[in-house]
Formats: sequence, C-alpha cells, structure tokens
Amino acid sequence: MKKLFAILLAALMILSLTACGGKTPASSAAPEGSTAATKGETKAPETTPAPAAQGKVFNIYAWNEEFKGFFEKYYKVPDGVTVNWIINPSDNGVYQQKLDEALLNQANAKDDEKIDMFLAEADYIGKYVDSDYTMDITSFGFKNADTMYEYTIKAASDSKGVCKGVSFQCCPAAVIYRKSIAKDVLGTDVPEEVQAKIDSWEKFDKVAADAKAKGYYMTASFAETFRTFSNNCTMPWVDANGNLQFDPQITAWMDQTENYIKNGYTLTAGVWDAEKTNEMFKTGKTMCFFGPAWYYNFCMNNAMDPQDGCVGDWCIVKGPQAYFWGGTWLLAATGSDNTEMLKSIFETFTTNEEVVTNLVKAENQYPNNTAIAQKFADDPNYGNTAILDGQNDIKIFAELAKDIKWENHTNYDQLLNEGLQNKLQEFYNGSVDKDTAMKNFYQYVKETYPNIKLPQ
Amino acid sequence: MTKNDTAKNGRRKNGVSYAKWGYIFIIPFFVVYLCFTLAPQFLTIYNSFFESYRVGLTQVGPNFVGIENYKTLFSPDSSGVILVLKYALNTFVLWILGAVPQFVIALLLAIFFTSYRLNIKGQGFFKTVIYMPNLIMAAAFSMLFYTLFSRVGPIQALLEHWGWIDASFDFFSKQVTVRGMIALMNFLMWFGNTTIVLMAGIMGIDQALFESATIDGANAVQVFFRVTMPLLMPIFVYCLITAMIGGIQMFDVPQVLTNGKGVPNEMTRTLVMYLNGYLTNKNYGMAGAISVFIFVVTGILSGFVYKSLVAQYKDPQRKHRERKGNVL
Repeated sequence: MKKLFAILLAALMILSLTACGGKTPASSAAPEGSTAATKGETKAPETTPAPAAQGKVFNIYAWNEEFKGFFEKYYKVPDGVTVNWIINPSDNGVYQQKLDEALLNQANAKDDEKIDMFLAEADYIGKYVDSDYTMDITSFGFKNADTMYEYTIKAASDSKGVCKGVSFQCCPAAVIYRKSIAKDVLGTDVPEEVQAKIDSWEKFDKVAADAKAKGYYMTASFAETFRTFSNNCTMPWVDANGNLQFDPQITAWMDQTENYIKNGYTLTAGVWDAEKTNEMFKTGKTMCFFGPAWYYNFCMNNAMDPQDGCVGDWCIVKGPQAYFWGGTWLLAATGSDNTEMLKSIFETFTTNEEVVTNLVKAENQYPNNTAIAQKFADDPNYGNTAILDGQNDIKIFAELAKDIKWENHTNYDQLLNEGLQNKLQEFYNGSVDKDTAMKNFYQYVKETYPNIKLPQ
Repeated sequence: MTKNDTAKNGRRKNGVSYAKWGYIFIIPFFVVYLCFTLAPQFLTIYNSFFESYRVGLTQVGPNFVGIENYKTLFSPDSSGVILVLKYALNTFVLWILGAVPQFVIALLLAIFFTSYRLNIKGQGFFKTVIYMPNLIMAAAFSMLFYTLFSRVGPIQALLEHWGWIDASFDFFSKQVTVRGMIALMNFLMWFGNTTIVLMAGIMGIDQALFESATIDGANAVQVFFRVTMPLLMPIFVYCLITAMIGGIQMFDVPQVLTNGKGVPNEMTRTLVMYLNGYLTNKNYGMAGAISVFIFVVTGILSGFVYKSLVAQYKDPQRKHRERKGNVL
C-alpha cells in the first residue's frame, strides 16, 4: 500500500512538473507582442478577401455607456448580427488592461469572439493606432471625408500615416459659466463681456479673487483647469530617450492650483467627483466649468435636473486659453470579420447627415463634420436650450476647433495625467506636503512604467 | 522471511483493505492543488528572477536578472524609506486594528452563547445576524462605506449638522479615519465567522469541566482563563493563523475604499495593493518578488504564532499532569 502511494505521489509530481514545464514555454512565448502581432497580421488577409462572408457577432470594447447610447439610437444593426458590448471602467487603466489582453489574444480567438471595434481616448489612442492590432480603414473601403477635422484623422493615424479609425466627435473645449453668478461677480452675464474679463490667466485669477470675496468658487475641482494647461504643452510627457519631463504648462497648472486651493478659489474634489458635480445644482456656488460639448451630457446632469438644476443659467465662452479635451475614437480591430459593418458604422457617425445633425440637435455633441457644424454655426435660429440660455455654442466651438493641433501626445498620457492629479490631490487636501506628493508620483511612475527614466 | 510471508498472507486473508479508497478519493484534491496552487507558486518564484513587463502592447523581457528584482524591492527610495517594509507595516497595523476587537468580541460572544447558565434565547437569529456582514462582497461593503463617508455622504452631512466637524473635514484625508474605517470593516466582516468557529470549539469542551470548576469555587474569569482558554487553544490558534494569513493578504477593502490610491500618503496601501500596482503593466518580475516576500513573512509569522501559543498551553498541562502523577 505504501509503495503504491509513493508511486502515486511520484506520478502526480511528474504530472505537475510536466504540466508547468509545458506551460512555461507557452506563457513566455505568448506575451511577446511581435510574434502575436505578426500572427494577427498574417491572419487578417485570410479573413478579409471575402467581404461577402460577414460575421454574426460584433464585439465592441468601450469604457462607458456614452457611445453605446448613440449607437443604439442611431445605428441600424444589420439583420442577424448580435452586438456585444464589453465595458470596463477607465480608472487605474483597467479598460486598457482588459483591452490589451483581448487584443493580444485576438489571433487565437474564434471569429465570433474577436474584437471588431474598440473605443479609444485621446490620452492613449497612439498606443493602439501605432500597432498591428488596428486595421487600415481603407482596407475595407472606408474613405475619410473632407469634412472631418484634420486632427481627428491625425490622431487615428500611425507614424506612417495609415488611418485606423474615426472619431464621431470633435472636442474643442471652452469655459461654461453660470450667468447669475457672473452677473453678481462681474456685473455682466453677456458672453462677449465675460470673455473680455477672463481672456487671460492673469485676469482669470483676478476674477477668482473677486468671486471669492462674494462667497463664490471660481472652479469646483482642483483639476478643472488641468486640461487647459496640459493641452497646450510644448513637449510630451516622455521624451525620445524615455525621460519624464514636466512641461512649463504643467508646472503653471500646479502653481495656479496651489494658489487657488490656498485662497479657497476652488475645491479639493477631483474632476469626476460628486462634490464637484453637486456644484452644478441651482444651489451651487461655482462660477466656471471647463469642458467641451460632451461635458454637457457627461458631467452636467445635475445642472439639467428638472427640480434642482439650472437650465438656461449657463453660457459658454472661449476662456483664458484655447484647448481641447478628450474625444472618443472608434478603431477597427485587426481580425474583424465584420468589415462591412465597421464601414457602415464609421459612415453613420461621421457623414450621415441625418445622424450627425441629430448628434448636434438632440445630443448636444459637437460633430466631426465641418460642413454640418458650420451649418449650425451660421444658423441664426439655432441655439442650445438643453442647458445653455439659447446661445449658439456651436459657433464658439467651430471657431475653436479650427486651431486644434494634435501634437506632443504619448501613450503614457492617461496614467501619467491621472497619477499626477491623484497624488497632488493629497497635497491640496492637506494630507501631505508637496515634496511627498511629488515623491509619491515618481514612485507611481516607477511602478507603472519601469522604462521611464525619472528626473533625479 | 517466513515471518514476513505469514504477515502478508495474514493481511490478505483478514479481509479487504478499504484504505486505498481514502487515497483515491483525495486524489482529485491533490491533482488540483498541485496544478493550480503549488505549480503556480513555484512559477511565481521562478518569475521573480526575471525582468518581464509590458509597455503598452510591447513585451519587455523576460530576461533573467538574478536577484535584481529583490534588490529593487529592498532598496530605499529618495527619502530613505524601504517601501515594501512601509507597506508591510501598513498591512500589519490595519490587520491588528481590526483583529484585536474581532477576537475579543468573538470570544465574548462565543462564551455568552455557549454558557449553560445564561442560556440565551434566539441564538439562531443572533448567529445569523452577526454572520451576515461576511456574506456581502468585500468590494460592495467598501463601496458602501465610501458612499457613507465621502465628502458628499450622509455621515459627513450629519456630523456637520451636529457641529462635530467643520465643512472642510475630509474622512479620506486623515490616516486615523481611513485606517479606522478599514479596521472597522474587517472587524464587522469577520467577527461573526470567528464567533461561530470559536463556539464550535467551546462546545467541543466537556461541560462537566465548567461545572466542576464552578463547584470548586472558580469565578467566571477564572473558568475562562484556566479552563476555557487552554482547552480552546488549538481552535483559537487556528482562527488566529487563518485570520493573520487573510490579514497579510488584505486587498479588496482598502483597494476599493481608496480607489487603489491608499490615501492618505499611501498609509493605507497594503502589500497586495503594492503588488497590484505592478500588475498594471504585467510586471511579473517585481510582482513575483513581492509575492515571495509575502510568502516568507506569512510562513515566519504563522510558525511563530503557532510555536508560542501552542507551547504555552501545552506546557502547563504537562506540568499539571506530572504533578498529578506525583501526588498519586
């Protein structure tokens, strides 16, 4: 009996050893991006030559429900096709992690389980566009329209200029202010006059002090102005040699915020926190919010609350500095067996006049279509009444959209921006001093991106 | 030789041996354990000697780097703090803060519930209720706490209303409050479980011992320390060690409560949260090194707790027996 047991145990041991012996080469080979990528590439032409054979399942990866809403409302899914949404939150890079896993496995996945399309944000789009996991959109016959904003094409193109996707929106951003508070603080609520009083950061700071004196906040989050600065950076977060660098704009934001917190011009809440969005209720004490057109639906629900909101008490102006914020791109995943559908989705949300018009009219978006945007901008009868006082916001956005440039972006942006804000928030809310906050940020970078060299 | 033969034959003749079925039935467990627990464990150790992570979609490594990951792990940062030790200390403090009340309350409750003198009614109800928090997912539980204590939550509003705190107070910017919340949650989630296990342990003790101790004039405290505790010790140590292992691996509660940030100033960041930070980019090398560190620490602490407590209760008993023997 003992002997039998010993043999059994030995057999088990061998089994487990071979089991992990077998696993090791497989697991060490699988993550190697290059091999998986080439596999994906060689496989792609096999599936694409027969456009007639289209898949029955369309898989979309996204990080929130925003585009899903538009998709379900405005896109007619071909008969017999099931659309699967795989939604993971963007916080702490979860969305990217899940997406990366799925993309690395794309070559081995069954046709119906392959990602067909995924959404990407400005902060990390480059990582996917400049890889073999996204597909040239001309390969399935989609042609970028002349009406698209140049920067949206550039953002979705790899270093060789091959375009891998489209955006359904264009995101010039501005200052959205409460009219009643502006009237109290500035003595006027007319957009042109308000703009004249906050058209530089010096003036903006001065107004902040006036607002404070009257018991108001200038902004409701320490990071509210972050994008305005970071979007005007003249150098990327990480240089060609992998060194982390602080752009003067980032330092300017840090200085401004420190000053604002010290003087009580703003709150210590994050951009997405309830404490900030509560300031958009009628009872809110905050004058300015910074955001593009998607900000209305995405962040300003409290302002549109039928009971406690304040629809019509808002106007929009360019503010101290032009910038853009975010944007959602739809990227075609290599290996998709639903290229026809990809093409029709791209067309629907960029050139289909009826849908794009609805995006503006019914959804308060700013479209990625210069012709339709211009039509609204020139229309004297058009005004945004969903939240603004009937002001033609498209006119303001159209002006700002002309200047958007796509430069100085890195694949690290999302986690570096998020990390810097998170670590500095602790300094602003008084739990640590500035040096500690910065030390924590460097530590975070070291953990997240071991390849980035830190300034020492 | 003949002796051997007869023994063999004798065993065969005496009947069928059912012992092998025991082994056969436990095979599935061992196979699963070896494949999915032990093998990955060795793989983790193996991985900790490699540089292997992902930058975006490109994989760096795996390159063999020897003990480089361990060197990085134990090298002090710019202000001279060895981070892994800082996080280990955080974990320990968070665990102790929750475990002390957990064991004290659980012991008290277990004794109340099993006392033949108190004979508490409706035990089933109480046992269910105290066990309840354990049924909620830790993540959901911490979300609940986050919502309750956030800057716009009801607790903040209530305390502000009563004038106990001012408007600038933030539960999540102070070490005491965040650690307190985590400890409270761990306590609430686990004291019920511990109570049930300890009750089972106490009920396994011969009631006659309590009665005779009482008749001999021992008061409740004496009965507890002289009779209950020594006899409960094996179960108590089991509870303590499992709780400690769980504590060292504390992750979900602080992770969800602080959204992975370990606020304030990373003072609520635990070892496994640190490990998780490295997994953002699939840094198996560093994560492996931390895992090995956790494994070693767990082993040492468990051994230490076991040795010290079990030895303590074994010795007096032996002495007692010896004394008894001498008298007799």
